[in-house]
Amino acid sequence: MSRRTLYAIAVVTSVLLRSGPAVAGDQCITCHETLGDKPSTLFKHDVHSAKGISCAGCHGGNAKAEEMEQAMDKSAGFIGTPKGDDISKACANCHSNAEKMKQLESSLPTNQWEMLQVSVHGKLAVSGKEHIAQCITCHNAHGIVSVKNPESPVYPLNVVKTCTKCHADAAFMRSYNPSLPVDQLEKYRTSVHGVRNAGGDAKPAECASCHGSHDIRSAKDAKSRVYAVNIPSTCASCHSDAEYMKEYKIPTDQFEKFSKSVHGIALLQKHDVGAPACNSCHGNHGATPPGVESVSKVCGTCHALNADLFSSSPHKKAFDERHLPECETCHSNHEIVAATSKLLGVAPDAVCSRCHHENDTGKGFVVARTMRLLTDSLESSEIHAASLLDEAEQKGMEVSEAKFKLRDAHQARLQSRTMVHSFDEDKFRDVISKGLTVASSVGSEGQHAIDEYYFRRWGLGIATLIITIVGVSLYLTIKRIEARQRAKKSLS
Amino acid sequence: MKQRFKKIYSWIDERVHLEDVVNYMGKKYVPLHSHSIWYYFGGVSLFLFIIQVVTGILLLLYYKSGEEFAFESIQFIMSKVEFGWLIRSIHSWTANLFILAAMVHMFSVYFGKAYRKPREVTWLTGMLMFFLALGFGFSGYLLPWNELAFFATKVGTDIAGIVPLAGKPMMMFLRGGEEVTGATLSRFFGFHVAVLPGLFTVLLGIHLLLVQRQGMSEPIETGHEAGVERRTMPFFPNFLLRDLLFWLIVLNLLAILAVFFPWELGRKADPFAPAPAGIRPEWYFLFMFQTLKFIPAKLLFLDGEVLGIGLFGLGGLLWLLVPFWDRKSSRGEQNRFINYIGLFIVLYILIFTVLGWIL
Repeated sequence: MSRRTLYAIAVVTSVLLRSGPAVAGDQCITCHETLGDKPSTLFKHDVHSAKGISCAGCHGGNAKAEEMEQAMDKSAGFIGTPKGDDISKACANCHSNAEKMKQLESSLPTNQWEMLQVSVHGKLAVSGKEHIAQCITCHNAHGIVSVKNPESPVYPLNVVKTCTKCHADAAFMRSYNPSLPVDQLEKYRTSVHGVRNAGGDAKPAECASCHGSHDIRSAKDAKSRVYAVNIPSTCASCHSDAEYMKEYKIPTDQFEKFSKSVHGIALLQKHDVGAPACNSCHGNHGATPPGVESVSKVCGTCHALNADLFSSSPHKKAFDERHLPECETCHSNHEIVAATSKLLGVAPDAVCSRCHHENDTGKGFVVARTMRLLTDSLESSEIHAASLLDEAEQKGMEVSEAKFKLRDAHQARLQSRTMVHSFDEDKFRDVISKGLTVASSVGSEGQHAIDEYYFRRWGLGIATLIITIVGVSLYLTIKRIEARQRAKKSLS
Repeated sequence: MKQRFKKIYSWIDERVHLEDVVNYMGKKYVPLHSHSIWYYFGGVSLFLFIIQVVTGILLLLYYKSGEEFAFESIQFIMSKVEFGWLIRSIHSWTANLFILAAMVHMFSVYFGKAYRKPREVTWLTGMLMFFLALGFGFSGYLLPWNELAFFATKVGTDIAGIVPLAGKPMMMFLRGGEEVTGATLSRFFGFHVAVLPGLFTVLLGIHLLLVQRQGMSEPIETGHEAGVERRTMPFFPNFLLRDLLFWLIVLNLLAILAVFFPWELGRKADPFAPAPAGIRPEWYFLFMFQTLKFIPAKLLFLDGEVLGIGLFGLGGLLWLLVPFWDRKSSRGEQNRFINYIGLFIVLYILIFTVLGWIL
């Protein structure tokens, strides 16, 4: 079949099968479809086609020309298949042009290309000639549909698959970031988010919900949504939205509570990136609430000594039998406040008193009361020693070394808070005793410095008196000598 | 007791002919006039220097030079060593009173024209000792290795580095490198306890010898009052006992200062920390420091600071050589111009020191 005949058939077919505003009269589609070209078939359902944009919108050339030479004439602007960054630039021609987007009646933002460039995907690819990701990497080239369309590769239920095309490919990822795990998908599928997502629920978080879409940054980048300090607010964007979370029937006050907690203050106010964020306890890609039995393991990743002491304490068995979450029972979960002595003991606000009562058969009540008394006595000794040092310092005495030493008493008190988790009175008493010895020695040094201050004052008084007496005697001696000299002179 | 003293005296006299010295001292007289009070400041300066030597040696028993130990050793002296606090406080206060007394002594000699012939060398040795005393102050200030001292030394040596040609090598020599470091501390310690005391002792020996040999100078106006009988006082024992009385008063003052205003140690120097606010040198350098701050960065084609240092250098040189260009006083004639210059300098130092303190 001659080329001319082929064109004639194509034209007739196109007239018969015209569909969609852009496709109508688009010679590109007419010919390429006849040739069985897949992109042309896909493009018929493309959101761009629906807006009247022809193939020439991206590929250039003359979509109305019937002759191939004219339609694909480079001098008429035909660029063929764009390569590398030219792909995204072709998209950006319209998508970064607010005026054009307005004409096309689009409400899409026009900064995607800008955002992509500053993202981790905007870095140069291994070829060194183009960016890692182009628009079509995630959105496809032909047959692009709205993100709200379940067919779209960036529709919430499809995002995970789209991202993991690269991110689960160890060989590919090695070229860019060998230390980045490639098991996110695997973990995600075990998470509450992942399970619901796989079940067809588009609301739970997928990759883009936490990492963003065009402006994805490295987790180490302070601007990233998943940078340690930003994680709580990223999670809270859904979990604190009562309306959004309504159907899941879980609390929405976690962020509020976390912000007030010792962890939240360290992370959000002091910007201590070592402090735990939501993912530190719940996991990130495999996010799920820790079960009762694993709470102490989760907390123990940081509070290792406390967890060890607790595990070998008599409380371990008691908690297990009652199915009580270990750390959480006393310290709460999201709203963990700084541990003070108030938690310990048998006063109504002490956590021990929730289970241990005076008339119980066990010795828990007595041990809790003794421990509290011991820690209180160390605290008051420390305060007493510190006040003596302050007084000595105000009097101008040099007590910096003693002040430094007092830190050991404070350290012992902090150590005793860890030792509490052994619930062993003797071990606890040993730590407290060390602190008490230091506080007592420092207190003595402070008192000695104050005594020394008064000794100096008295010493000065006596020394001044002696020097003054010597001075006066000397003055009288001079007067006596001079009187004798004058008498001698007058005689001579 | 008296017999025993006589025996000891005779024993020494037999060997070194002490009688000659005693006879010489017995014939030595100090002029008495309305300005005689100023004579005592030389003695007070000497007394303060002796205190510095004694307390300095005591501090040396515990002081450790070096970046890691200097501050801690002073801390140890202040808190652990018996009466260490008193020795250190007295040493620091005496350093300041010594320079003050030496300054009063210098100006009294200047206004009394005591530098005139034949006492030119006495003036020169006195002035050189005064410069050494400033050196003692500058080098000693760094030894506790605290924050203020560290940055004041940095600023001070920076200023030395501005001097054209010799400045940079001089700064490098003083610092023992580009920056103020442990090397600077080591060499400042060396200057403070070995080089400066050695030079000072030689100059002090010459100075005292000349004072004893030439006697006290009398102001021109009191020496020439016609018809007025020249009043004197025996050096021994009258003047010496009065000197001693002054020393006791100064000692009392020192004890009060050391106990009521113990010299602070501050915080350990941290070369990487930013300079704290209010860095300024010791009060005796303050007038020069303040002047340099007032001089504009550029004056015509000259760098402001270079000009300031040049002027102070030239002024210091002229001051040092005053016996050689004030010919009028050497001839025994009144020279009011000298008084005006002196008065201007005293006022300048006072005003700029106060400004340096309050600004």
